[in-house]
Amino acid sequence: MTPVVELDRVGHRFAAKGGAGTTAVADLDLAVRRGEFTTLLGPSGCGKTTTLRMIAGFLRPTSGRILLEGADATRTPPEKRNIGMVFQSYALFPHMTLLDNVGYGLRARKVPAAEARERAGQALELVGLSHAAGRKPAELSGGQQQRVALARAVAIRPSVLLLDEPLSNLDARLRVQMRRELLQVQRETGLTAILVTHDQDEALELSDTMVILNGGRLEQQGAPRDVFPRPASRFVAEFLGYDNFPELPGRGPATIRPEHVRLLPAGEREDGGDTGLDGTVAAVTYQGAGCLVEAGIDGAEGPGSAVRCLHPADDLRPGDRVRIVLPARHLVELPAGEQR
Amino acid sequence: MIAMIRTRPLLSLLAAAAFTLMLGPVVILTGVAFTAGETLAFPPEGLSLRWFSAALDYPPFIDAFGTSLLVAAVSTVLALALGVPATLALNRGRVPGRKAVEGLFFAPVIVPELVLSLALFQQVMVGMRVTALGALVVGHTVLLLPYTVRVVGASLALADPRLEEAARGLGSGPVRTFFTVTLPVMAPGIVSATILAFITSLNNVPLSLLLTGPGVATLPVEMLNYVQSSFDPVVAAVSVLLLALSVAVAFATERVAGFTKVFGR
Amino acid sequence: MLRRVPMAALLIPGLAVLLFAFGYPVAATLAWPPDGDPATVARETGSLLTDPYLLPVIARTVRVSVLTTAICLLLGFPVAYLISRAPARWSGRLLVLAIFPLLLNTVVRTYGWIVVLGGNGLISEVSEALGLGRVQLLYTETAIVLGLVQLFLPLMILSCYSSLSQQDRRLEEAARGLGSSPGRAFRTVVLPLATPGALVGCTLVFAGAVTAFTTPQLLGGTRERLLSTLLYSRVNVSLDWPSASAIALVMTALVLAVSALSGRLGKIGSTSS
Repeated sequence: MTPVVELDRVGHRFAAKGGAGTTAVADLDLAVRRGEFTTLLGPSGCGKTTTLRMIAGFLRPTSGRILLEGADATRTPPEKRNIGMVFQSYALFPHMTLLDNVGYGLRARKVPAAEARERAGQALELVGLSHAAGRKPAELSGGQQQRVALARAVAIRPSVLLLDEPLSNLDARLRVQMRRELLQVQRETGLTAILVTHDQDEALELSDTMVILNGGRLEQQGAPRDVFPRPASRFVAEFLGYDNFPELPGRGPATIRPEHVRLLPAGEREDGGDTGLDGTVAAVTYQGAGCLVEAGIDGAEGPGSAVRCLHPADDLRPGDRVRIVLPARHLVELPAGEQR
Repeated sequence: MIAMIRTRPLLSLLAAAAFTLMLGPVVILTGVAFTAGETLAFPPEGLSLRWFSAALDYPPFIDAFGTSLLVAAVSTVLALALGVPATLALNRGRVPGRKAVEGLFFAPVIVPELVLSLALFQQVMVGMRVTALGALVVGHTVLLLPYTVRVVGASLALADPRLEEAARGLGSGPVRTFFTVTLPVMAPGIVSATILAFITSLNNVPLSLLLTGPGVATLPVEMLNYVQSSFDPVVAAVSVLLLALSVAVAFATERVAGFTKVFGR
Repeated sequence: MLRRVPMAALLIPGLAVLLFAFGYPVAATLAWPPDGDPATVARETGSLLTDPYLLPVIARTVRVSVLTTAICLLLGFPVAYLISRAPARWSGRLLVLAIFPLLLNTVVRTYGWIVVLGGNGLISEVSEALGLGRVQLLYTETAIVLGLVQLFLPLMILSCYSSLSQQDRRLEEAARGLGSSPGRAFRTVVLPLATPGALVGCTLVFAGAVTAFTTPQLLGGTRERLLSTLLYSRVNVSLDWPSASAIALVMTALVLAVSALSGRLGKIGSTSS
């Protein structure tokens, strides 16, 4: 099946005074399948929004090709791409009612007035705002404006729904609720969606595929349940919240979540296959359900010489000797030589 | 930019026409000033600086420039002296009927300057026997007052009034608070207002038009009178000198307060 | 001690000067000129509004001002739009270029037109070279309108720009994304949202055009009189003060009427949008 959106070695350099310029996106390959929810994830400046804006047609790639529904759309203006875009600022037209906002794309497509009204009404109903159809955007709360923006994008039955950090202006509680609604609308309409976000929880919960970008380059791509337990680089690991980066003697860098590390009394042995290291407790922080214990690895120095562990009991004190166990199931070895 | 011109050809064309209309005549006048010939002609007939020396040798222009600078300086200072306290009261004090009082301070903007000129001529110069110079200073002060009130007021309105409360809370008395908090907050506004007011006064024609006396007229009015009685390019040369001065003012303004901040309101 | 003086006292010097140097003289001149009284001004105003020589002057003033306002809007709005949407480097430069003329006095700005429009001027030369004969555009209404458009374009640009620069640029992108061509996005989103700024610009330009003096004096001469140049000649040439007061009254009324009207229009606009 032809991907709905395909990027073929797409790059974008912003021109700058005096020549050099900055590379926002470099040689990006990406294929988004029909009906799939894809997330572009990364810290600010990683090129995720630039990528989305190139897919939408607001920015033209400086290299590579963009294919929509299998056809080259690299130079197609945004209005001819049949995209449904939801902006971070919602970008609702302040001088139009909700119904007119949602019907705007239909009128631009010369859909007969009666049909346009009906479809706009249906889209508003989909987000539960039919009762407010005659109101102006300024009369709505942030969450409601968000829903209208979504309805407006969905109403035109786009070939792809583009979401540029649509939830980042909402408060934490509402954000979680809107995530569910967003997913529900996407499933109900069967639309292909691409979401830009810097929120890993959002990406994990929503995506069929998550694409992690760093400095304009693809870092890792895959289903959340494949990517999350197996980060391919220290960058991805850090971005997904890993904060334990021990240097394994003779094996190089690795990462593991503190809750997966086990501490045994000195002298006891781990199961075969797991990694075991001798060490000394350096610090203990009480955390109620357990303690966060930092243990230094014998003979190691500098960063990577310590392992942090969520230990279920409060029975260790600084100076105690321990056996640090890194279960094979959770230990992720990282490529060596990465500067961070 | 080129991409914009390509996507908006009609708008770009209209914009180009706008800039041509705005700047074209000034550019042409600059060319005319360097003519070696006797009349206003473009392209100029030969190049020379003769009309510049003629302009600088014409005493009425020199005197008028002096008058203009004097009037601009004095009325700017007066407008600030009256306007800054007023805007302070309007923005920070409890003033009954604040909106209406504010309206009074902006009223001179609504009345045509030529009407104010006529009024000052009839009632103040003729009626009260005030000299032309006095009437000019009074008139320009009234003209500039709305500018100082608005521009300084804008910088006050932007600042958090709680700054002053915070200073008082930290043990600073009202006078100390004024000099250490309020005045620094107003300072950028005062600088902007000074530049804007001075240039506004220097360029004014309609208000100064009727407020003339023997040997007393502002430079723009003197230029206007000269242009109407003679067709030689002297005024073109004066214009170029003023243009150079304006460019200098623009650069100085950019350094001190930001050009578009001062003149772009 | 200082605490006892209410802040409102700081208003007194300013208000006193406004009363002495503005309120009183203007009121006196409009109602009670030296040579007459309210009755004479009323009579003069009446004859101004019926005199077959003077009525065309009022009509011409209004016509020239309306035309000036319309052309300023047509040319100024695109400039404001381009400045508000251009890359930062360009928008700053263009804005400076659009504002700079405000630093020059009106004689400097207007004088060049004499070289362009005169019987021996640039346009005339070009027309003759093309075999169309000489044209004298100077001292015509066209000349006045051209001069006034040049004079007031910066005001229109600034007013429109203040509206346009506040618009969320994503609105235009949203319209494009929903299927609007650049033209349609401009018409349905940019234009309606910029109306308040454009309205302010129109008011400023109209009021300015009605009261402008230098430009009609230099480019209209004695042939094409406007209210302002007529007022000047009544004071300086015929020394007819009651008549000058009557003209001043009509001029002031025109300006007040337009600002009141645009204030109302602005309100209608803001409630319906």
